[in-house]
Amino acid sequence: MINDETTLNVMLETVARFVKERLIPIEEEVSETDHIPAEVVDEMRELGLFGLSIPEEYGGLGLTLEEEVNVVFELCHAAPVFRSVIGTNVGIGSLGIVFDGTEEQKHKYLPALASGELIASFCLTEPEAGSDAAALRATAVKDGDHYVLNGTKRFITNAPEAGLFTVFARTDPADKGARGVSAFVVDAGTPGLSLGKNERKMGQWGGHVCDVVFEDCRVPASALLGGKEGQGFKTAMKILDKSRTHIAAVCVGAAERVIQETLTYAMERKQFGKPIADFQLIQAMLADCKAEAYAARCMVVDTARKYDLKKNVSMEASCAKLFASEMVCRVADKGVQIHGGYGYTREYAVERFFRDMRLFRIFEGTSQIQQTIIAKNMIKNAS
Amino acid sequence: MKVLVCIKQVPDMESRFKLNAAGNWYDTADLAWRMNEYDEFAVEQAVLLKEKAPDTELVALSIGPERVKEAMKKALAMGIDRGVHVQDEASFEKDPYQIASVIAEYARNENFDLILTGMQSQDRGSAQVGILVGEMLGLPAVSTVVGFALDGQVVTAKRELEGGLKAVVKVGLPALFTCQLGLNTPRYPTLPNIMKAKKKELTAIPVATLLKDEALAVTEKVSYPEKRGSGLVLEGEIGELTTKLVALLKEKTSVFK
Ligand SMILES: Cc1cc2nc3c(=O)[nH]c(=O)nc-3n(C[C@H](O)[C@H](O)[C@H](O)COP(=O)(O)OP(=O)(O)OC[C@H]3O[C@@H](n4cnc5c(N)ncnc54)[C@H](O)[C@@H]3O)c2cc1C
Repeated sequence: MINDETTLNVMLETVARFVKERLIPIEEEVSETDHIPAEVVDEMRELGLFGLSIPEEYGGLGLTLEEEVNVVFELCHAAPVFRSVIGTNVGIGSLGIVFDGTEEQKHKYLPALASGELIASFCLTEPEAGSDAAALRATAVKDGDHYVLNGTKRFITNAPEAGLFTVFARTDPADKGARGVSAFVVDAGTPGLSLGKNERKMGQWGGHVCDVVFEDCRVPASALLGGKEGQGFKTAMKILDKSRTHIAAVCVGAAERVIQETLTYAMERKQFGKPIADFQLIQAMLADCKAEAYAARCMVVDTARKYDLKKNVSMEASCAKLFASEMVCRVADKGVQIHGGYGYTREYAVERFFRDMRLFRIFEGTSQIQQTIIAKNMIKNAS
Repeated sequence: MKVLVCIKQVPDMESRFKLNAAGNWYDTADLAWRMNEYDEFAVEQAVLLKEKAPDTELVALSIGPERVKEAMKKALAMGIDRGVHVQDEASFEKDPYQIASVIAEYARNENFDLILTGMQSQDRGSAQVGILVGEMLGLPAVSTVVGFALDGQVVTAKRELEGGLKAVVKVGLPALFTCQLGLNTPRYPTLPNIMKAKKKELTAIPVATLLKDEALAVTEKVSYPEKRGSGLVLEGEIGELTTKLVALLKEKTSVFK
């Protein structure tokens, strides 16, 4: 749902200009140094990018999902690491509070998340619980008006920068499944909370993930998300329905960038006396990329529209995430192929995109997990 | 103080232009639209003034079809207080004189202390509208301004001349200035400000109520320059090249005759 097309277009123009003037020129430097300059993050704060999805009453922009994905398409014409900076505040890190937080939790955290003053993170995955997130082992034991958290969370995006951790832990040791899980909002600096060392990742350098370790970490009972035990896994699934659509949009934006880089290259590079774009085998690759990226864009927009109409989009969001993340990897692969040897060097952005894209088939549910969700829904709907 | 900023919406200049059916302008289908770059300097200058003197009232005016509201929204998001949309589906058929007279007609009784326009539009590029508005309202008009300082009721403006020269001009308000590249760096309208701009006043006036004049100079036809033959690249060793070049010059030109 787009509330006001004119307003959205002005936003898209602003984001496009920011991407072109401020982000694309420093992509390579960010990757080489594994660091996004602080002033650029400040500019992202000032632009309002951290608050895309947070309701207006809490200082965000309150965009609908269809509006949000349009902004994301535009933003992700720059390297995906920039999206990652705002990603947890717009998605997995803040949505738990938006959906299920108490009024007090909303007032305490959402304005600071919307402005980007506070960075959020989402702590679900554990060393022994990845795809099978419901099997998580972290515990939260009630002790008077506190809970005591213990456990290790793995691969937590933006944890080194985070001021707030949305943590999923088991409050009911007797229930080994989803219903024993509760969510907590934990402030950085709480005694007993510590960080592991940054993972050395394949791509998206400049963005950081690490372990988050809880050792007898005492949090007040008011840190229980929504004030209710046993709701944590439901909250996590609601978050993922929305954020998977967002991730699919990231893939579409990135694919569009790779296609644009590749088309420009193919029209300039000459072999056998003519631009390689004249060769039909190159054209076939270009056309396949275009068609797939367009299909994914349509899936993202359709899912977002249904989401905005308050329909259940679990299956559609998984379809979009599965297809878009697999698509962008195929597109990045063809991008490298069309660049030939140059595509295998750091001189060209496609080399970086090729590595950066690989993550999208893994996090927020691997492709296999998306397939599982889709098929489960198909069978459920048919029986 | 009351300031009027005149803005035009133009196509993204990276667009591929096709001619319209009548052959007197470009086809407007499938184009992405932007605020004329020079008008962004004018908007930014106005907003800078307001930052120094918060009781300044900034009004933006734009003539054109419904879509020009987008450029106006951007101006409002950058810090203009309210917008006036002069609705005109056929603004592209009006000559600079008519456009200026519409603006002047609107501004005549509004008592603006200061009017800012772009130096020219990126599409038509007549560079006439601002100057004509000044003339019609009996105001001093200063063109191609790259520096602007207001002190009381006097503006010290820097103008860009040919040959790399700059001139400093002092002029008392009310006055009109046309803004040139180099005057300032237009700010990004932030997303929260774009949202807030939704609440700012945007009045619509049909062009017929302001248009009193006939066109003086009607554009008959627009066209692309004729395609010229592509250049010739000679290849080979230096000696061989000279022989080839001399032969060519003898054959195709009168240089060696
Ligand atoms: C850079 C990065 C950032 C991340 N950020 C976060 C974050 O911010 N917060 C967070 O909580 N987590 C985060 N993760 C974790 C991510 O969500 C998990 O890595 C992912 O869910 C997969 O879990 P796993 O790595 O344990 O793999 P596993 O679950 O061990 O999977 C291994 C393989 O087995 C397959 N598999 C597993 N189960 C099945 C099945 N039932 N049927 C078929 N195949 C199956 C998988 O598809 C995969 O191919 C991040 C990961 C990375 C790499």
